[in-house]
Amino acid sequence: MKLKESIESVRNQFRADSDPFPNDEASLDSLRIKYIGRKGLVANLFSGMKDVLPDDRPLAGQLLNELKVEINSEFDKKSKISKDDISNESTDTSLPGINIPIGHVHPLQQTLDDIKSIFLDVGFSIAYGPEIDDDFHNFGALNFPPEHPARDMQDTFFIDPETVLRTHTSNVQIHLMEDQNPPLRYIVPGRVYRNEAISFKSYCLFNQVEGIYVDKKVSFSDLKSILEYFVKKMFGENTKMRFRPSFFPFTEPSAELDIWSDKRKEWLEILGCGMVDPEVFNNVNLDSNIWHGYAFGMGVERICMLKYEIDDIRLFYQGDMRFLEQF
Amino acid sequence: MRISINWLKEFIDISLSNEEISNKLTMLGLEAEEVYDTSSLSDIIIGEIKNVIKHPNADKLNLCKVYDGQKILPVVCGAPNVEVGQKIAFAPVGSILPGNFKINEAKIRGEISQGMICSEKEVSISDEHDGIMVLDVNASPGETFINYLNNYLGAIELDITPNRPDCFSHLGVARDLAAKLNVDIHTPSYDKRSFSKNIAKNMIDISFENPDDCPRYIAGIVKNVKVGPSPDWLKLKLESTGQRSINNVVDISNLVLLEMGQPSHIFDFDKLDSKKILIRRANKNEKIETVDEESRVLSATDLLITNGKKPIAIAGIMGGLSTSVYNKSSTLLIECAYFNAPVIRKSAKNLGISTEASKRFERGADPNGTEKAMWRIIQLLEEVTDGEWIPGIVDTYPKKIKQVSIQLSRLKLDILSGCKIPDKAVEESLTNLGCTIKKTSGEWLCKTPSWRPDLQREVDLIEEVVRIYGYDNIPSSFNYEGIMNDNITDPHKSLSKIINILTGFGFNQIFTNSLQSSRKVSALDFKSVKMINPLSDKMSEMRTSLFQGLLDTANFNLKNGNPDTMFFEWGNVFEQKSKGLTGIEEKFQLAGVANGIYMKSSIHSNDIKYASFHLIKGIVAGLLKRLRIKNVTYNAIVNNNIGLDYAHTICVDTNIIGYIGELSSKFNNILNLDIGKSYGFQFDLLQLMKLADTKSKYKSVVVYPSMIRDLNFVLDESVAVGRIIETINKNGKGILIESEPVSIFRDSSIGEKNKAVAINLKFQSSKKTLEDKDVNPVIDEIIRVISKKYSAKLR
Repeated sequence: MKLKESIESVRNQFRADSDPFPNDEASLDSLRIKYIGRKGLVANLFSGMKDVLPDDRPLAGQLLNELKVEINSEFDKKSKISKDDISNESTDTSLPGINIPIGHVHPLQQTLDDIKSIFLDVGFSIAYGPEIDDDFHNFGALNFPPEHPARDMQDTFFIDPETVLRTHTSNVQIHLMEDQNPPLRYIVPGRVYRNEAISFKSYCLFNQVEGIYVDKKVSFSDLKSILEYFVKKMFGENTKMRFRPSFFPFTEPSAELDIWSDKRKEWLEILGCGMVDPEVFNNVNLDSNIWHGYAFGMGVERICMLKYEIDDIRLFYQGDMRFLEQF
Repeated sequence: MRISINWLKEFIDISLSNEEISNKLTMLGLEAEEVYDTSSLSDIIIGEIKNVIKHPNADKLNLCKVYDGQKILPVVCGAPNVEVGQKIAFAPVGSILPGNFKINEAKIRGEISQGMICSEKEVSISDEHDGIMVLDVNASPGETFINYLNNYLGAIELDITPNRPDCFSHLGVARDLAAKLNVDIHTPSYDKRSFSKNIAKNMIDISFENPDDCPRYIAGIVKNVKVGPSPDWLKLKLESTGQRSINNVVDISNLVLLEMGQPSHIFDFDKLDSKKILIRRANKNEKIETVDEESRVLSATDLLITNGKKPIAIAGIMGGLSTSVYNKSSTLLIECAYFNAPVIRKSAKNLGISTEASKRFERGADPNGTEKAMWRIIQLLEEVTDGEWIPGIVDTYPKKIKQVSIQLSRLKLDILSGCKIPDKAVEESLTNLGCTIKKTSGEWLCKTPSWRPDLQREVDLIEEVVRIYGYDNIPSSFNYEGIMNDNITDPHKSLSKIINILTGFGFNQIFTNSLQSSRKVSALDFKSVKMINPLSDKMSEMRTSLFQGLLDTANFNLKNGNPDTMFFEWGNVFEQKSKGLTGIEEKFQLAGVANGIYMKSSIHSNDIKYASFHLIKGIVAGLLKRLRIKNVTYNAIVNNNIGLDYAHTICVDTNIIGYIGELSSKFNNILNLDIGKSYGFQFDLLQLMKLADTKSKYKSVVVYPSMIRDLNFVLDESVAVGRIIETINKNGKGILIESEPVSIFRDSSIGEKNKAVAINLKFQSSKKTLEDKDVNPVIDEIIRVISKKYSAKLR
């Protein structure tokens, strides 16, 4: 079908000639005459219809019409706009822009991404582990004896007497040390669960980021430096902080890291940490005379709340657009 | 544990402010908070009542003269307990009380009043408002009330970690503080009495069923005791730690508990009904009525103190009612024992009781504290209740607890601390904490004190040294030696890219609760993972799909003014595929739901775009394209357990990586939804991330022009356009690079039940400029195949 090709060729030619579209009257007129003038190229194509086989005519006619409509509408559109630009009558530039649907990244995600990138920068890898685990990985191997009061520090959801919703991401410490040989250096983000009444300051689950570094020579001094680095990156270079002795069954010495809030005039606890307890190494068959390590764990919600001054932890899990669209 | 500062100062000489003490303890690991907030009490001073007369015009009011240290002021007071000579908390004119309450000079029924005498409530000490707060007689008028408060009532609340049972006492806390400050500690006098004849031994016989349960049991007897109210000093001491006074006998037991951490129990000896104490496990279903008048059903987990037959106390937890001290008790049997910690722990847990005694025993008491406490209680009973000690005590110690000896090596200390703590500091801290140390080359041999059951290993001593030395004094240093060579530093690396793409398309990220009601979970036919101790019925099972949370969130927003929403969430869903932990599958998923209007009409366009199947399909296609995932097909499936109607699989090559469709209507009933139709997608996120991480190489840009052709087929209405496109693509002979349906036309002229579909075909070759002779045969073949396969006609 020869005509069809001619139509395409005229269309391509027009597209080339009209890019950019002329904005002076003279060139505009000559373009118009060339294509849709009485003896223009489109008229010329129409006159070629007589040579088309009768069977092909409907389609050829349709295609030719489409071309004519396309070219005409280009002239209509472009000449109108150029006129408007000159007269400035109906383009009200003060109108709002066209509404583009946008979505929001959850503040917890943003905080988690910040935490991840701070530790990735200094050579930590990231690992993940199961949310439902056995007593051994969540408690036993971490040096929580059965029925020990330390277990009461973390109210636990049970699936059966030996299976729990993990109360911390520390279970992954054990998996990592079981699965690979040191040295190892990981952070482990993930959901953890606590069987506590829900209120503005506590929810039945939250996100934790665990850190673990095991090597031959790892000291409390190293632990301090990595966490000082983290706090400065996260909360600002001049953040005042302190390491305060504390207790966790799976670290010794143990500490809690507080940062000072000028606004609230008080110390705020942001994470727990310490040197991996030799008992934990024994439980995963690593020689505690050779291997040393530090571990830490922080709540993503807590850090996010401090950063954005969010006062109710439940907001993170409600999905309220009025909250989400602020981030 | 509430610690009275004055009480603490009985054991150590310190001149620190309460705030400083609080900070020091916190930095020792005994997290401390001052009990009284004195920030708004600075205007209040001590006054003395010099005179009280009845108000001439009001029955219930008194006219008082209050001395403020300089002058005597008239004050009208309504409290019933006001008396001459009392020292009181006085708010002078111009002062501001808690709650921003300002005191002005006033005329009350014609009498001038220049100030106010405060109740405990008015100075935020307690809720007591029935009368004025009467202060210690030694308080001096004119002094600030804050000063008084700190001197007399100053207290701090300590959060004691489970490893420090010794710090459930004033003495234990004083010992830590003394070690930190490197000062001496004055231990109270626990004078061991001598006796020529052990009369007590003839009065009571102690035996054990299993000495492991109770390694040590000491009994002492005091007669002619007069039970009554405690003297003021004893009352004040208990009150300063937040305890109420009960009677002199109970108060003495509590005093010793708070002082040295040793729980004791005092029986009425005459009600014992025998001369025997037998310590044994309870029989199944054995009963005892405890002092709180509760009847308790026991089991073999529980350890009992019995009179040989009947239980008289639940060991280490609570005494029995039948032998408890009452106001006519005269001869008392004092028990100071050391029980096995795990036994008490299990029993307390089993019975659901936590008492001051059980709290200490279950964490580990001091086996040697028992004897000291016995002598202390005997001494106090004599002083306070006029009791007479019956010479002798019965100290049964069948299972001697040995003190632990530990080697502490300098090398290990240096490795773990990361710095060099001087010998002197090491030795002083350990000695001050009660260890006996012997230095040899490169190490110390330490015998740990009986009150520190937590010190069992070298690392425990290292913690003590570092703790007393001060975490703040340990320098920080980066010191990485190992080479880490993980190929994948973050298995979720491409997740952030996925999140950014979806939010770019207008989806909002949410996180929802993984704990759901069984009703919610029942919307899909998965065997769910259930908790045996859920927080509530609404959160008793683990979610099996992300859709319920997404739909709930959409519905919540509808009710809160946002009817048109698009949400996505990533996270784990859980399925109990077979029994036990190994039968639980955690599936990492990504899902999204859109409903209502996707793009509203505006001043610029009347067009409204609604969320639809094809919107989701377009978004999924866009996501996959951005992730450079190729060879994607969508195939309709009929029966599914995804929660989607009109469901289609998303296939990459032959792998199903996800689903799209309209959210099943069964969610509407189960979740009580008011939102209209919703459309969603769900991905197996591990597969999606893996595909997104697959690196595909760049292909050079084709420089030859493309050729566009249109085909217009008349088809039966039942033929899916997607199938036509697929067939066309299969027959592109390597030069068809794109085929897109551009219009569907229906008209009687082409026949009922028919449709005309116009398809735009784009041809291009990477080798040359295509000509008709290259394209025409391909087109002809396409027409032939389509016509044959779908009985189509060219229009």
